[in-house]
Amino acid sequence: MKKHYLLLIFAAGLLTFFSACKNETSYKTLIITGQNNHNWKASSPVLKQILDETGLFSSEIMITPGKGEDMKTFNPDFTKYKLVVIDYNGDSWSEKTNSAFVEYVKNGGGVVLYHAADNSFPSWKEYNEMSGLGGWGNRNQKDGPYVYYKNNILVTDTSAGIGGSHGKRREFLVRTRITDHPITRDLPVAWLHGTDELYSQLRGPAKNMQILATAFADSAAGGGTMRDEPILMAITFGKGRIFHTTMGHADEGGGPSMHCAGFIVTLQRGAEWAVTGDVTQKVPWDFPSAVGVVLRPDFKEMTLDEAFAYIGNYEIAKSTKHLSCIQSHIRDLAGNEAGLLEIEKRMVKVLRDKETTVEAKKLLLRELSRIGSDYSVPVIKELVSDSELKDEAEFALTRLQK
Amino acid sequence: MANKSSRRDFVKRSAALVAGTFVLPQIFPSSTFGMGRRTAPSDRIVIGSIGVGSQGMSNMMDFLKLKDAIQFVAVCDVDKRHLAKAKQTIDLANKNSDCRSYGDYKEFLEKEKLDAVSIALPDHWHGIIYSAVANKKINVYGEKPICRTIKDGQTIVNAVKKNNIIWQTGSWQRSLSNFRRGAELAINGRAGKIKYIEVGLPDGSKGIGTPPVMPVPAELDWDMWLGPALKVPYRGISHWDWRWILDYSGGELTDWAGHHIDIANWGAGLEHTGPVEISGKGVYPVEGIFNVPVEYDILCKYANGIEMRVANASRLPMRLGTTWYGDLGWIHVNRGDIISASDPKILQEVIGENEIHLYKSENHWQNFIDSIRSGKPAIAPVEVAHRAISVALLGEIAMTTGQTIKWDPEKEEIIGNPQASRLMSRPYRQPWALPTV
Repeated sequence: MKKHYLLLIFAAGLLTFFSACKNETSYKTLIITGQNNHNWKASSPVLKQILDETGLFSSEIMITPGKGEDMKTFNPDFTKYKLVVIDYNGDSWSEKTNSAFVEYVKNGGGVVLYHAADNSFPSWKEYNEMSGLGGWGNRNQKDGPYVYYKNNILVTDTSAGIGGSHGKRREFLVRTRITDHPITRDLPVAWLHGTDELYSQLRGPAKNMQILATAFADSAAGGGTMRDEPILMAITFGKGRIFHTTMGHADEGGGPSMHCAGFIVTLQRGAEWAVTGDVTQKVPWDFPSAVGVVLRPDFKEMTLDEAFAYIGNYEIAKSTKHLSCIQSHIRDLAGNEAGLLEIEKRMVKVLRDKETTVEAKKLLLRELSRIGSDYSVPVIKELVSDSELKDEAEFALTRLQK
Repeated sequence: MANKSSRRDFVKRSAALVAGTFVLPQIFPSSTFGMGRRTAPSDRIVIGSIGVGSQGMSNMMDFLKLKDAIQFVAVCDVDKRHLAKAKQTIDLANKNSDCRSYGDYKEFLEKEKLDAVSIALPDHWHGIIYSAVANKKINVYGEKPICRTIKDGQTIVNAVKKNNIIWQTGSWQRSLSNFRRGAELAINGRAGKIKYIEVGLPDGSKGIGTPPVMPVPAELDWDMWLGPALKVPYRGISHWDWRWILDYSGGELTDWAGHHIDIANWGAGLEHTGPVEISGKGVYPVEGIFNVPVEYDILCKYANGIEMRVANASRLPMRLGTTWYGDLGWIHVNRGDIISASDPKILQEVIGENEIHLYKSENHWQNFIDSIRSGKPAIAPVEVAHRAISVALLGEIAMTTGQTIKWDPEKEEIIGNPQASRLMSRPYRQPWALPTV
């Protein structure tokens, strides 16, 4: 009895130990919001969900006093956090808070500047050095040059003019400019972003800043500069790292800009880099390409289980993403015979299901022709007599050489 | 008819006589035989075309420019709209209304007495039709890439060899001076010993989502268009856009392999071999009917230590085109008459008499006609085209399986990977089959 008791204590201790470990590895994150010319009530919970989803961050939202209220009461202890996300564009913070934030970043604190955060604090020198580039708030040549790409060449342009503009909201193509940065490593070099504002004509000190990605602001698409405008930036300030994304204009519930898998994943990667200087997250299978925008209905990556739950309903003209999900898992399982057999078994199960559509069976037979083993041969042989599936079944059997 | 046939036999016989004297296609002086000479009507090369969509029409126009060197007599296509347009163009050029039209290539081959056929079809048809034409001992101008699978390519190469016909691949960059000059500088070591090659091919572009099934246009023989490919309902996608569907093409990667990979091989002496190890990563569409990789990045290692990277242009510093990197510098070529080098002096270099002089052609279509007359191989022979597309197809297999592929370039076999080996061919829908050569 005593022994068991001791074991229990030991087990409880282990549990505490592991959960403590877990807490240590999830980075405490502070999302600051409360004033914005944008719908911060919609955006801030989405930012929290996107970050916490990774398992890397545990974030809390802190709401500042409202416009015109006493900002002295806004006095967070930044040192408690590994990452501070700014979803704020409003009244100046107190001198004391500003100094604390500058100290936090100088000492290695991570920062994410999201969308209109680069409109904020036009006269706070250090903040503008952290953002690299900013817009609106009467910014002009006194605040620094425009920085953009023109004909694939990086341009620093000191000409006079306003800072900050955007044309009509639209889908736009994001181009990776630095492919070996931890944030952009392994990402497609071109991908379509969900409907959003394309921030243009940003200007600022642009010190210690790398432009990771740009988007072409085509004037034909509703007001544009005809330049490749910076969209994602990585900046260092003291020992601190700042990830600056100009994307993500929020509608109620987030809207297409925030549901865009490209926005979500670059935010998650940028946030990790801001904390550690590296990115351990794998690029997910649903990262968009130039082919088209990919929206995540609930901000989450589709799992293989979900893909298998829906693949059997496939009909022509329906979404093909469930198949894409299965195919990407197959590629990831390269050389892993046991893993591939598991997938094969799941495909065969759907193939056998009476509820599965003919079109879904055709897709699965094609996949089995590539990864199938002896396991699927008997069930494919049965399908040869099915007039609707004969061609695909024979295709698969020929490949499997049976 | 008898007259035509005997002239045709004459052309063939003289071709066969000369063919034996040429072995390596790599080092030849310029080919000008038959050029600038007025040709008697009976000496004209009688030519027809299978596939007269955009690329087929473009080739036809280039042949028609050769005026009395050729006589265009017949066209074949599964789309009556293409046929009508092609016939109209040819009749206008011939000032008569004699051009014959066919919807079935078998009937076309049976009825027409031809010296040459220009072929521009979706890739999934190449294996069957290229081999069928070669087996009729008719010379072929065939569009790149010459095959959809490595097995198709092997079959075509064997058919061309066995029948000893003249083959010209539509890799027309070979007949442009900047590409030849770049390749000649590279192969003669003007950038030093070549260590690494970068080949930039176009990025993939926007998709069209998942269109619904729709009625087949009355003018289109959809079942024939599909041919050996799996039967699918018509969704408004056939001409041109077949390039973005894996059943018919490998996308920009395979579409352009016959250009910039072919040039890379030419300048590096890799025309008659292949890599020994291939790895790669693709970006695939998440949504829609288009399913070819829209981005790709493939690394090939050769037995002699050369490495070749083939990627969509935006991933590469030099973007589109071919760049040979040697231990002394680099040489780059691209369309738009572009040739550049790490040191401009490289571009002024003279190639000595005893160095390698690459085959010179100034007009790709004329070169094909000249070769039929002379019996000398054309500038873009079939084996060389097969080697160029094999690089892309092996890259496709590496990306599809997620594995590093080991390749035996002599036997043309994937080593120790039965699952990947399966992807060297695509089963054909019955009754279609590759001919046994």
